[in-house]
Amino acid sequence: MSQTKRSSKFIIILFVVGFLSLTLTGCGRKEKRLLFHAGAGQRSSLDEIAQVFQQRHPDVKVDFSYKGSGYFLADVTLSQEGDLYMPGEEFYLLQAADREFIADYDPKTDIAACFVPVIITPEGNPQNVRSVFDFAKPGIRVGLGDPKACAIGIWHEKIFQKAGILEKVRKNTTMDAKCIPELGNACQLKAIDATIVWATTAVLYLKDIEIIPMEPEYRELVGLPVAVLRFSQYPDEAKKLKEFILSDEGKDIFHSHAYCIDPTKTDEDMKWLVEACKASKDTSISVSEQTVGHLVKEVKRSRETRR
Amino acid sequence: MSGSTRFVCLFYAITIVFILSVCWLFLSNIGYTDTRSVLELFGRPWFWKSVKLSLLTSFVTTIIAICVGIPASYALSRFNIPGKTIIDIVFASVIVLPASTIGLCLMVAFQYEPILKIQQALGFRVVHSIPSIIIAQLVLALAFGIKAWRVAFDDVNPRYEHVARSLGSSRMRTFWKVTLPLAKEGILAGIILAWTRAMAEFGAVLLFSSTFRNRHETQFSHITKFLGIDRADILPVGMWMEIEGGNIEQGIAIGFVLVIITFMSVYTLNKISGKGLQARKI
Amino acid sequence: MKKHSQLKRISWVIFFSSFVVIILAGIGFLIITNAFFLGFGDFLYYLQKSRTWINIVTTIWTASIATVLSMFIGIPVGYILSRYKFPCQKFMDTLIDLPVMVPPAAVGLFLLGLFKTFPLSGMTSILGIKVDHALPGVIVAQFTVTVSFCIRLTMASFETVSPRYEYVGRSLGASLPYTFFKITLPLAKNSLIVALIIVWARACAEWESLMLFVGGIQGRTDVMPFAVYLDFVGGKLGWALTTSMFCVLIAIVSMYAVYRIGGKAHVR
Repeated sequence: MSQTKRSSKFIIILFVVGFLSLTLTGCGRKEKRLLFHAGAGQRSSLDEIAQVFQQRHPDVKVDFSYKGSGYFLADVTLSQEGDLYMPGEEFYLLQAADREFIADYDPKTDIAACFVPVIITPEGNPQNVRSVFDFAKPGIRVGLGDPKACAIGIWHEKIFQKAGILEKVRKNTTMDAKCIPELGNACQLKAIDATIVWATTAVLYLKDIEIIPMEPEYRELVGLPVAVLRFSQYPDEAKKLKEFILSDEGKDIFHSHAYCIDPTKTDEDMKWLVEACKASKDTSISVSEQTVGHLVKEVKRSRETRR
Repeated sequence: MSGSTRFVCLFYAITIVFILSVCWLFLSNIGYTDTRSVLELFGRPWFWKSVKLSLLTSFVTTIIAICVGIPASYALSRFNIPGKTIIDIVFASVIVLPASTIGLCLMVAFQYEPILKIQQALGFRVVHSIPSIIIAQLVLALAFGIKAWRVAFDDVNPRYEHVARSLGSSRMRTFWKVTLPLAKEGILAGIILAWTRAMAEFGAVLLFSSTFRNRHETQFSHITKFLGIDRADILPVGMWMEIEGGNIEQGIAIGFVLVIITFMSVYTLNKISGKGLQARKI
Repeated sequence: MKKHSQLKRISWVIFFSSFVVIILAGIGFLIITNAFFLGFGDFLYYLQKSRTWINIVTTIWTASIATVLSMFIGIPVGYILSRYKFPCQKFMDTLIDLPVMVPPAAVGLFLLGLFKTFPLSGMTSILGIKVDHALPGVIVAQFTVTVSFCIRLTMASFETVSPRYEYVGRSLGASLPYTFFKITLPLAKNSLIVALIIVWARACAEWESLMLFVGGIQGRTDVMPFAVYLDFVGGKLGWALTTSMFCVLIAIVSMYAVYRIGGKAHVR
């Protein structure tokens, strides 16, 4: 009988240890953790911003949850959690504001940077896409975003509507993306022949794609809004992070990831983007401010690996 | 009460608590849906198209799995194939691969340069097409099926085959008339297992095939339109999209449809298979 | 005549084996194209990143906790199932099988609802455990999808131990707990270890149920399979492929361990 008692004691101890380790991971850490809901397209720049921010504020840790911008509403409605929200399009943020999730948002000042749409095609541009109107050519495989899920979807519709070819492009659509990098992936893997993405997504794939700037009349700058959520556990820290994002230093980080921060210089930015695309494929071009402008870091990163 | 009784009671209690918690896991969610949204869901043509697509793709997957898997598992069970241990390890490890890895592997493999050239020459692309659903489902369905069929063939004593052979029956005849009927139970169980697995596939399909519901009609062939499976997604993917899009009531309703389908197939599986096969089930 | 039948025999074997070769070629095709596409240099490059190792460590320890927890349920339930009968046996069996057979994505969804309804929502808030967007949620999800799996495997392990040994022990005056811990468990030890490894590998591979239940927080809840997905939809194909190849490696290594410990019968 003593045998069983000992073994049952052993089991109880194991249970207690298991349970403790569970609870400890749940609430044992003292640092302040911010949960940041952000659209999947902003990943590279926000990762860098968080890194800098965490160095300045060692007691704060920023956790990112990246998804298609439209998918956060359901998530936030269910979980009622999170400190900051940065969708790729104001439309989603206003929806969240309608449900009273947003603590403070001023559409005039709270725009961190702007997205610039560009056309991308797989390496070599097999279907010879040169302008927005080429998307209507029969037989071309186009990837579009789902407007319910991600910001680029809304702008695909707007851009092609403006060009008057939305119905034709729809007929060519072979892919329906839930977040913007899916389009980039499909392009990189040659699953589609052309699509429109933000410049900041395009720089993730510099090596495996061709970038074609859009005609200025269809190219619209899309503001990237940021807001603190009502159920924030650390509203002060969340505010600090928001201010950092909106500061000049934050904007510079966004600029180095191919966002537009000065609308008057968009054409120049596009020029650098095309140069960067060339430079990351052709290693004979030296990488410097003179050759690729503000995108030095991106080109260097893309040269480090094959994929 | 003696120690032994207490011991058995404890174990029984754990079992019963476990079974009850499984029931509670599903039943606690009933509050998140209501008859209205279920009826609404049933009124959507998209839902019925999706059901059809799910059933059709999983049936085709199962048939392919049967055609390839049963001979393969027979070979593994009867012959001394060189490197059999390695083959066994590789087949077994497919079962413990994450769905995301399978999806990504398929995506990259079918877009790999030489393979892409072949596809271009033949004039079609696998990625993001309806046949790609079948390929994505096939990987795991086949792995699970082979495991069950292997057990089924191993349970058949080769002596019966030898007897039949020595009485002058041909190999083909022996296989059809002796081995298969003897392994019938296990083979059927494997078929149901493979089908259930194919029905349950989500991650690989999501990565490999993307979704279909917003695509234009012209993207679908006449066959798919004739079958009524155009602009539809397989049920697990459809469920995920509904939930992510904020339509929780209907998403949970699709979840319950999936649970009921699974329950029926697993019940049949348990009905036809004896304890021996159940115990070794994956 | 003899030669003719020899030829027939060989063609018979080749016919069936060719299907094995087809499947093997399929798997090889998947893995080799991926390995070539990634390249060894990139594999090493991404392995040097600290986040890769955070993911690996997170996966290993969450999967280990989930495995231990499922073993606590799996051993008693598997033992009961292998030795005793239930009323409505088939129905109960089906209920036990459900969590592993229902699409994992649906399991994740139902878990989400479960933790928002009455008893558990209160319990988690009193105990201060956070399940969504946190690691305990990952463990819960891994546990839920592996526990049925674990029960079937432990049940199989106990079936390999003949009840006769227990009868002998009992008839010599030992109590049932004593026979269980001293006779049954040691006899089933090897196959239980095998079950443990398979369950662990399966827990490592869990992703679909996490999608809806936990949500991916970079560097926190992204266990390896989840990191594959997050990196893929985050535009980091090389990183996703590295993690995915590592998952393949874990699967093969654990199955090899199963083969070494359990012998041939367990990997087939």
